[in-house]
Amino acid sequence: MATVVEPLRPNIASADVQLPAVRDYEQVDREISGTLRPSAGWFAALGLAVALFLWGAGTWIYQVYWGLGNAGYNPPVMWGVYIITFVFWVGIGHAGTLISAILYLFRAGFRTTIYRCAEAMTVFAVMTAGLFPIIHIGRPWKFFWLVPYPNWRLLWPNFKSPLVWDVFAILTYLTVSSTFLYVGLIPDIAVLRDRETNPVRKRILAVLSLGWRNSEPEWRHFTRMYLFLAAFSTPLVLSVHSVVSFDFAMALSPGWHATIFPPYFVAGAIFSGIGMVFTIIIPIRKFFRLQHYVTINHLDAAAKLCLFTSMVVGCAYMIEFWVAWYSGNPYEQDYFWNRVFGQWWWAAWIMLTCNVIFPLSLFSQKLRRNPAWLFILSIFINLGMWYERFVIIVPSLSHEFEPWQWSGYLPSWVDTSILVGSFGWFFMWFLLFIKQLPVVAIAEVKEIVPPRLRSHRRGHGIDTAGHHEPYGTETPGEFD
Amino acid sequence: MRRGLVAAFREIDATCDAIEALKKANFKQFTVYTPAPRHEIEHALNAPPSKVRLFTLIGGMLGLTFGYWVAIWTSEYWPLVVGGKAIASWIPYTIIGFEMMVLVGALSTVAGMFINSRIPKITMTVGADTRFTSSDYGIFVEAPPERLKEAEEMLRGFGAVEVRGER
Repeated sequence: MATVVEPLRPNIASADVQLPAVRDYEQVDREISGTLRPSAGWFAALGLAVALFLWGAGTWIYQVYWGLGNAGYNPPVMWGVYIITFVFWVGIGHAGTLISAILYLFRAGFRTTIYRCAEAMTVFAVMTAGLFPIIHIGRPWKFFWLVPYPNWRLLWPNFKSPLVWDVFAILTYLTVSSTFLYVGLIPDIAVLRDRETNPVRKRILAVLSLGWRNSEPEWRHFTRMYLFLAAFSTPLVLSVHSVVSFDFAMALSPGWHATIFPPYFVAGAIFSGIGMVFTIIIPIRKFFRLQHYVTINHLDAAAKLCLFTSMVVGCAYMIEFWVAWYSGNPYEQDYFWNRVFGQWWWAAWIMLTCNVIFPLSLFSQKLRRNPAWLFILSIFINLGMWYERFVIIVPSLSHEFEPWQWSGYLPSWVDTSILVGSFGWFFMWFLLFIKQLPVVAIAEVKEIVPPRLRSHRRGHGIDTAGHHEPYGTETPGEFD
Repeated sequence: MRRGLVAAFREIDATCDAIEALKKANFKQFTVYTPAPRHEIEHALNAPPSKVRLFTLIGGMLGLTFGYWVAIWTSEYWPLVVGGKAIASWIPYTIIGFEMMVLVGALSTVAGMFINSRIPKITMTVGADTRFTSSDYGIFVEAPPERLKEAEEMLRGFGAVEVRGER
């Protein structure tokens, strides 16, 4: 096999050049549309994801037939793995819109190359989360009763109920985030359409691109639309997990009835989402050879955000303990003692270690700039954030006010299989996405690549052909 | 009859200079194509601000009103007084109002973009070229036949790599 000598591709930004190894628009088109060719590794990963999904779906059919009793529920712990996993996936879905909308409004440059990936992750994570309330209800074929519409006597659902708010919040979030993903894709689909040679694919891409032509009026309205969608999505991100937290905070159980829940949940959601972004983007940049797009600087900046949200989450944990002590309420105090040093100590310490202690390593610049460490850490964050929801839900239900209500909880093979199946479902969609549509936003990358200028106005590291000056071994920075 | 010239440029400053010269020479109808939105071109064209914001405002206000209205109306329809409390409690209904504001506002923003930029387009666009989605900037000038020669010379003078007639 002939070895191809790769050109030297620095992936460290300097003050004025964000993507030093990306030199012109043609290169952006070529390299990003080049990632769409399916490979054997991709088929293997997709096969694994589909197998896990089928395992989960089969188990669900078993559960529908034999009843929810197989899911490890025992009174009083009637919320278990399904609700934990619902909150987990909704949380994962938060980083995408944070990165694409909030960081867009803040003009954070490092979002450009990772936001498409994060946004697709959001849509698929919310799609996954949406399955769990349906799996959790005893008669899933009646799931449409969740949708707010009146019965034949015009009796509507109770709009004062957190569960109805949840339906509104999650459906709005799913609609707006998938719209945001799709409209952002329109110009990129137009690029793919014009490069495509297969007539069938070209026709499909032409329909999906809605006849986008890159004309200036189109761009003018597009950029405005993007700005306003970002402005709507920003409070939406913060509201969705606040509403999810109301499912708990509106109840009177110890550990749940707390006003800190909305900010605590939002910070946790963003933290877990950034963890999942690392889990996804680090293998993608390696296998798609996009290290010079998703540079070390971008990972470094995202790691700082991860560290910050980890500290907010850690602070929220401590405030919970403090409020329990300060309240003088013996039920609350006993509950928190039981959570950390009693029955559920192992879950609480998994949570504290993964979410608060391990991320402190990101104070080290060396580790922030080490993709392998970020990947390992992200796995711990995913684990820790799943356990955070475990620690919020199960100890409260198993240790309420009266000792006769106290009990334990152990998931069964049924709910564990459905949890595993949900990862299969999520990665199945994600893997299908990354080979059909560009995983890095072509148009937005072109915005940060300096455009060609005529020769008499050269300068700023741009040579007479309109390219960046080549970078050599003497260029300061790191190479990979 | 639409009649005009398509010019492709490699450089952004050449495109901007050509736009300004066309405006100065009183060519009224031209469309610029650009691989990515650039402020330089926006400044050269000096186009009016996009009307999408009106759609956003109206959609958001309609959604907010609808969200509050549906929750208040359904409460008033079955007026069960519990504990002497108000039948319509606007504080929790703010959540419904907010979610509907975001939903309707966001969708009407997208609709505003579609309407203003005339997409979806199902026909071929005269004056567009596949190279404009890749790396070249383009100007499609529409002018009476007797002025096309002048426009062509002007565009070539600013460094257009290709100028062709289009109708």
